[in-house]
Amino acid sequence: MDALTFLIDGFQTALQPHNLFFAFLGVLIGTAVGVLPGIGPMSGVALLIPVTASMTSGLDPAQAATSSIILLAGVYYGAMYGGSTTSILLNTPGESSSVVTTLDGYQMAKQGRAGAALAIAAIGSFVAGLVSLIALVLLAEPLSNVALKFGPAEYFSLMLLGLAAVSGLAGNSMTKAWMMTVFGLLLSTIGLDNVSGVARFTYNISFLYGGLEFLTVAVGLFALGEVFKAILHKEKNDGEIAKIGRILPSKAEAKESVGPIARGSLLGFFVGVLPGAGATLASFFSYIMEKKLSKTPEKFGKGTIAGVAAPESANNAASGGAMIPLLTLGIPGSGTTAILMGALIMYNVQPGPLLFDEHPDVAWGLIASMFIGNVMLLILNMPLVKIFAKIIETPTKYLLPLIVAISVFGVYAVQVTIFDVFLLIGFGLLGYLLAQHDFPLAPLVLGLVLGPMIENNMRRALTASNGDFMVFFEKPISLVLLIIAFLWIVVPFIMKLKGKSIIVNEDM
Amino acid sequence: MSKTFDRIAAITFLAVGALFMVESLRISKSAYGSAVGPNVFPFLLGLILVLLSIKLLFETARYAHSESEKQPLQYKKFFIILLAAVFYAALLETVGYVITTFVFLVIGFQAMEKGGLWKSVLFAACFSLGVYGLYVKLLQGTLPSWPIWLQ
Repeated sequence: MDALTFLIDGFQTALQPHNLFFAFLGVLIGTAVGVLPGIGPMSGVALLIPVTASMTSGLDPAQAATSSIILLAGVYYGAMYGGSTTSILLNTPGESSSVVTTLDGYQMAKQGRAGAALAIAAIGSFVAGLVSLIALVLLAEPLSNVALKFGPAEYFSLMLLGLAAVSGLAGNSMTKAWMMTVFGLLLSTIGLDNVSGVARFTYNISFLYGGLEFLTVAVGLFALGEVFKAILHKEKNDGEIAKIGRILPSKAEAKESVGPIARGSLLGFFVGVLPGAGATLASFFSYIMEKKLSKTPEKFGKGTIAGVAAPESANNAASGGAMIPLLTLGIPGSGTTAILMGALIMYNVQPGPLLFDEHPDVAWGLIASMFIGNVMLLILNMPLVKIFAKIIETPTKYLLPLIVAISVFGVYAVQVTIFDVFLLIGFGLLGYLLAQHDFPLAPLVLGLVLGPMIENNMRRALTASNGDFMVFFEKPISLVLLIIAFLWIVVPFIMKLKGKSIIVNEDM
Repeated sequence: MSKTFDRIAAITFLAVGALFMVESLRISKSAYGSAVGPNVFPFLLGLILVLLSIKLLFETARYAHSESEKQPLQYKKFFIILLAAVFYAALLETVGYVITTFVFLVIGFQAMEKGGLWKSVLFAACFSLGVYGLYVKLLQGTLPSWPIWLQ
C-alpha cells in the first residue's frame, strides 16, 4: 500500500509541534467562525490567508505552505462543526450549510434536548469527517494518476466543466453567475502575460504589472463585503439562547442516529466531490432523503434526532469530499476551495495531479492533519460547547471594526503597498453591492483563480494544433468533458422552460 | 431583485466587456513560438461579457414589479466607517500603523454604538499595540512604525 506509507509520512509532518498548533488554531477559529452568524467559511478563510502568511514568514516556503494550508483547511471544516451550534440554540444558522439543522435542532432545544442535539451533531460531523478522509486517501493516488495523462486540451475542457458546474448552480440567475465568472476571468488577464511577457491592461501603473493580487480581491469581496452588509443591515439577535442541559445523548437517541449519520456521510461525500454542489446542497439532500426513508416522516420538523444527525454529517462529509477535486485535479468546486487553492498558489504550490509527486509533504501532511483536526473538533465541540455558545454573544460593535482592521493589516503585511489597501476597500464595496443584488461572488473568485491556467492550457493546446480550435473536440476525453459541461448548462435551462423548479446553491 | 440596479449593472458590465475588447486590440497580436497571441483570450472573454450583459438587459425587461419591503439602511454608520477606512489607508504609511489603527478602531467602535468610550479606547489600544508588537517585534515583519516627528 503506497498510500499508507505516504499517510504515515504525512502524520510525521502533521504531528510536528508547530503544525499541531496550526491545526488547533485553525479548528478553533473555524468553530468560532461557524458559531458567529454573518461570518461564513469563505470570509473566514479569506481573512486568515494574509494572517497565516505573516505568521509563517519565518519558515521555508514548503513548510510555510504546509502549515498555512493546515490552518486554513481547519477553518473550513471547523466552520462545519460550529455552524450547527447557533442553528440548534438560537434557530439562526451560523452557516448556510446548517440551515436545515434549524428545522429539528431548534425544536429539540425547545424540548430541553439541546445537549443531545449538539452532541449528535458533533459526533456525526466527526464520523463524516473520518469517512470522507478515508475516501480521500484511497482516491487521491488513482485520480491524480488519471489526471496525469491529461494534455492541455483535456485540462482546458476540465476547467471549463468546473466553471460550468459552479456557475450553473450558483445563485438565482444563471446569467448573473456567468457574468461573474467571465468578469473574474477577465480580471485575471490584468498584468504581465505568462506566455509572452506582454503587459496587458496595466496602463503603466507599476502595481498592476503583477496582476490583481488574489488575496486582496478575496479578502475585499468576502470579509469586507460581509462587514459592510452587517453594518448597513442591522441584524437583530434578540432570540433567547436555549439551555444546553445534559450533553450526552441517550442510548435510544444514539441508536436512532447511526443510520442517518452513515447515510449522510456517504451522500455528503459524493455531493461534495461534484463540483458546484457543496455542503449546503448536501445537507438539504440528506435531510430530504432521511425524511423519505424514515418510518415516521411526520416526526421531522418536530425535533427528531435524525433531522440533526443526517444534515450535520452530510455537510462535513461534503467539505472533505470537496478537497478531492482540489487536491487531485486542481479544480476547486466551490468558493471556499477556490480560496484555498489561491492560498496554495500564493506559496508556489500548484494543486493538481503533480501535487502528490512534487509536494507530498503538503498533500499528505494536510490529509493527516485533517484526521487530527477532526479529533480536536470532537473534543472542542462536546465538552466545551457551552463555552463556544458564549461566542454568540460577542457584540458586533467590536467585531465589525476589528474585522476591517484585520483585513487592512493582513493585506498590508503581505503586499506592503497602500494601493492594495485601497483596492481592498474598493472590492469590499463591489462585493457588497454585487452580493446584495444576487450576483454570486464564488464564480468571480473561481474565475480569478482558474483564469491563468485556463488561458495557458488553451494557448498551449492551440499552439500544438497551429491555432485550430477543433483540437478540443478531436481528443476523446476533452470532447466528453465538454459535452458534460454543455449538458450542465443546458439541462437546468430546459427544466426551467418546462416549469420545474431547480435547486440552487445560495452560498458556497 | 432590483430592476434599476440590474440595468445599471448590465450596462456597466457591457461597458467593461467592450473596453476589454477594444483595449485587447492594442496588445501585440503575435508571440514568438505560439500561434495564439496574448490578445485572443481577453478579446473572447470581453465579447462573452458583452453578450451576457445584453442578455441580462433583456431579462430585466421581464422582471415583475414587486417592491419588496425595504428595511431602513444604516447609512450614517456605514459612511462614517467607510470614510474612516479610507483615511486609515491614506495615512497608514505617513502616520504609522499604531496611531492610525488606534484612531480607526475608536471611531469604528463609537460609530457602531455610542458610549463606553474608555472600553473602546482600551480595546483599540490593545489591538493596535498588540498586533504591532507581535508582528514587528516578535515575527520581524514590516509595518510603518511611528511618524518621523515622534521618533
